[in-house]
Amino acid sequence: MIPPDTRRGTIQSVERAARILRALGSGTARMGVTELAEDLGIAKGTIHGLVRTLEQQEFVEQDPGTGKYRLGPALLQLGNAFLDNHELRSRSLLWADSLASRVGEAVRVGVLNGSTMLIVHHVFRPDDSVQILEVGASIPWHACALGKATVAYEESPRRDALLAGPLPALTGRTITDPERLREELVAVTRDGFALEDQEAIVGEAEIAAPVFDHRGMPAGALGLVGPVERLALEGHPPAAFTAAVREIARGLSRDMGAGRLAARGG
Amino acid sequence: MVGPTAEASRDPGGGVEMQVGEVLLDTGFVQRWIGEAAALIHRQRDFLTQLDAAIGDADHGVNMDRGFSAARDGLMSDVGATPGGMLVQAGTTLVLRVGGAAGPLYGSALRRMGESLGEAERVDGGSLLAALRAGLDGIQRLGAAVEGDKTIVDAYAPALLALERALRGGRDLATAAERAATSAEAGARATVAMQARKGRASYLGPRSVGHQDPGATSTTLLFEALAHAVGAPP
Repeated sequence: MIPPDTRRGTIQSVERAARILRALGSGTARMGVTELAEDLGIAKGTIHGLVRTLEQQEFVEQDPGTGKYRLGPALLQLGNAFLDNHELRSRSLLWADSLASRVGEAVRVGVLNGSTMLIVHHVFRPDDSVQILEVGASIPWHACALGKATVAYEESPRRDALLAGPLPALTGRTITDPERLREELVAVTRDGFALEDQEAIVGEAEIAAPVFDHRGMPAGALGLVGPVERLALEGHPPAAFTAAVREIARGLSRDMGAGRLAARGG
Repeated sequence: MVGPTAEASRDPGGGVEMQVGEVLLDTGFVQRWIGEAAALIHRQRDFLTQLDAAIGDADHGVNMDRGFSAARDGLMSDVGATPGGMLVQAGTTLVLRVGGAAGPLYGSALRRMGESLGEAERVDGGSLLAALRAGLDGIQRLGAAVEGDKTIVDAYAPALLALERALRGGRDLATAAERAATSAEAGARATVAMQARKGRASYLGPRSVGHQDPGATSTTLLFEALAHAVGAPP
């Protein structure tokens, strides 16, 4: 007999608690029990029990004035723990710093998560400008150099599945034709780096190279991101930039335990 | 200013004959428009930067101020022969001087407007409408954004629609431009509730909700400036 609160091997109350956290993490940052019940289609009594439990664990907290719930401090600790435990991120810190100061541009490190690149590390462009921290951002793989650099070295079943889409257009220059993308991926394996020219954001470009793990599989990618006029003027990345990105990615791959053969990106 | 005549404009789209006033816009109009835009953006520079700090790089106000001042100065020192030529010149300045996404987007919009006006020395409401439509088209080609993505388009598209409706309804250009400015502002305010689907703000996902889009906001300033420039005596 299957207990009533399990479906296809999952626990319904845990799934519901996760939906509450996601709802509170969206635009409406503060929600009451009634709002949550209506939004999620769950009975008020059930919501009440769930938020009280989440509150005890400090995953949510109640605003004393309005009685509404918002995300709690324990989530920040968990988010930081995720980043601290992420091997590619922790090993990339020094390499990324060194690349950013060498070329004077921002550096990002990303890992493939489903069909998007999750940014796990971001070093600001070393000037005095205000910049927004992009750690935690998800960028469709086909619209960024990090994604193209990673997917180019994925095993073919996964690469084919990713090429099959969906491939949404983020700008007028996003490549949405699978065959053109496939040609780009071939070029990545030939050149050892991937280029993105205003395919994610108008006015921005990115140069990235793959990072390999001890099995010789792509662990993710590392790249320079910045104004198109400096990174890819008329589609041409400066040779000094592509050389620096490849060199740093090779060093990081060695740090990840990749053998000489595995560091194919170099 | 001369009263409206029954002159039918070049129909920019859709087969309905449009009656527009005989207010003909010349190179002085372009100077007034870009000059007024530069002044409004300068006054609102900190506000634009503040909006951008919430969901972007906090450089929109500074970049736009620098670019539009340069465009204005360029048109002051070198008055072109035609309104179209001047808009192309101003657009080129914006591409070079604004930077970020706003430079290419606004720059290509003005360039396309200028190209749409062609060699005409004086421009009527219908031609201005067609030019503004070409400008929006340029922005959408570059950015692939549609209404609801929380971008410039959310202010620009309703402004264009209001301008067209007013002109087709027989209003004079000054009234139509006023309505466009009002609609742009309403459109920008509506971006507060939207989740960004384009640009850096989209990286924030649901966290972009609750903030007014800086690009849509600067677009309202351009339409406000347009209304001033059209309404001002030549």
